[in-house]
Amino acid sequence: MTMNEPLSSASSCDDEPQYMAPPPEENIVLRARKLNFYYGTSQALHEVDLPVEKNKVTALIGPSGCGKSTLLRALNQIYALYPKQRAEGEIIFDGQDVLGGKVRVDSLRERVGMVFQKPTPFPMSIYDNVAFGVRLYHKKSKAQMDELVETSLKRAALWDEVKDKLNALGTGLSGGQQQRLCVARGIAVEPEVLLLDEPASALDPISTAKLEETLTQLKKDITIVIVTHNLQQAARLSDYTGFMFLGKMIEFGPTGALFSTPKSQRTRDYVTGRFG
Amino acid sequence: MGSAMGSQTMGLGSVDATARINRGSWGESLFRSACFGAATFLLVALGGIMLALFVGGWPAFHKFGFGFFFSTAWDVNNDVYGAAVPIFGTIASALISLMIALPLAIGVAVFLTEFCPRVLAQPISTVIDLLAGIPSIVYGMWGFFVFAPLIANHIQLPLESAFDPDSFWGKFFAGVPNGNLLIASVVLAIMILPYMSSVFRELMLSVPASVREAAYGLGCTTFEVVRSVMLPYIRRGMIGGTMLGLGRALGETMAVTFVIGNAHNFPSSLFDATSTIASTIANEFAEASGMRAAALIAMGLVLFLITFVVLAIARLLLRSQKF
Repeated sequence: MTMNEPLSSASSCDDEPQYMAPPPEENIVLRARKLNFYYGTSQALHEVDLPVEKNKVTALIGPSGCGKSTLLRALNQIYALYPKQRAEGEIIFDGQDVLGGKVRVDSLRERVGMVFQKPTPFPMSIYDNVAFGVRLYHKKSKAQMDELVETSLKRAALWDEVKDKLNALGTGLSGGQQQRLCVARGIAVEPEVLLLDEPASALDPISTAKLEETLTQLKKDITIVIVTHNLQQAARLSDYTGFMFLGKMIEFGPTGALFSTPKSQRTRDYVTGRFG
Repeated sequence: MGSAMGSQTMGLGSVDATARINRGSWGESLFRSACFGAATFLLVALGGIMLALFVGGWPAFHKFGFGFFFSTAWDVNNDVYGAAVPIFGTIASALISLMIALPLAIGVAVFLTEFCPRVLAQPISTVIDLLAGIPSIVYGMWGFFVFAPLIANHIQLPLESAFDPDSFWGKFFAGVPNGNLLIASVVLAIMILPYMSSVFRELMLSVPASVREAAYGLGCTTFEVVRSVMLPYIRRGMIGGTMLGLGRALGETMAVTFVIGNAHNFPSSLFDATSTIASTIANEFAEASGMRAAALIAMGLVLFLITFVVLAIARLLLRSQKF
């Protein structure tokens, strides 16, 4: 996660960030602007801009340590758990700058949910895992909750596998099932934005395919930002892609264009597999 | 072993095959039996202690039968003894101290892991670990000379005189000022607090960062993360830590002897004097002989068994935990 200091000093990047056909201004639901991020004294993000369009999938790609996970963790303030990490710049969500200190982080995180690289089921039943976040904010009857749990699990493409054992422990599922459980838990609170940090990196190909199917379904209702190491995954899933390198946004644009006709030499090298 | 190691480091080529096999056979078996001996020594010692307690206490068990456990008598002149009061005092003081220490220990651990600035967390936990090393007699003296008068003069006596002696609250606050069940329990709680909080803190630190982040990522407040995710996650270990505290509270002798009042009677209120098994043994062993000594040894066996049962229950609880 930490930036490699010697590398970043060598990044006398020639070109300005390239933004091709950015999303129309009125459709942007979440935006980072001139974002700088620090782990203690080492700077991990440099003046990063990221526009996220509503109900689209935005992918962040780039080599390890380029800052894509850091950017994602800044968007819902999860980094704020760690006293030494800090962000400067603007992150605009719903017309407010979430870095300004006026937005409550817990209600921000309810609306901007997150799914992590490793599955993180809580030590409770499958049902309770899904109901967990909802119970924090809403009083629901048993019947309403049952329905919500079922819908969430169906949307996460897990229902058929767990419908007969909702009271079994979430931690007892397979890795792929656990990750889809985490997606179900994340969407049960009906977030406006869902951030996914390499959600498929620990999954086998079949589980990955199911997860991707899930995400494609979800984007009808939810805006998705996904960090991935898998270029094919980014190409398959996303509408927009941002390529990051050494803490900078090198290039951002519609996925098709970024992969077929990248403006930056670095992007071209990366998406054609010449480095990374 | 030393020479064997030496021959190995000389280089494989210079050592002939038979020497190497010999080294393996007798050195290894010696090592193995030494380890086996060390392990069995513990079991033999444990069995020996238990046997000695049983033999020493046999006259009391034989004379008083099962009534020994239920009789409140402690009549030195007529040589009639019962263990009910000390058994009750032991269990009551240990449980009350747990009730006081458990929430405090959770609070300390949560503060240290979730709220405390990192520069302070390490010094504070070091101090807590050091507290565990203070000899129990120091706690006992502090309890006797400082804490007990403080409670008596500023809480118990004013409250006792404020109520009609026959009313509920009058009876509730009636008792012995300078040594009683509550003071013993509080001193015990302070003594077991460092153990429990440092175990709890370690456990909370062992919760994977990813699980904490996931809970915070759903929009939980710190309280919700602690209550709904962290505590369930470490439930299993917390029972172990609590049992550790309980075990120590049950057997604690010196500090309790100072502050429990050492009266051989059932406490009629929290502020009444009573005694525990350990305090009774410590108080009376020097002048005990014959049946009285047998009764004390028998109570020692009872204490041994209570502690054993506590640990067994802990194991049972742990096994039924799924995580």
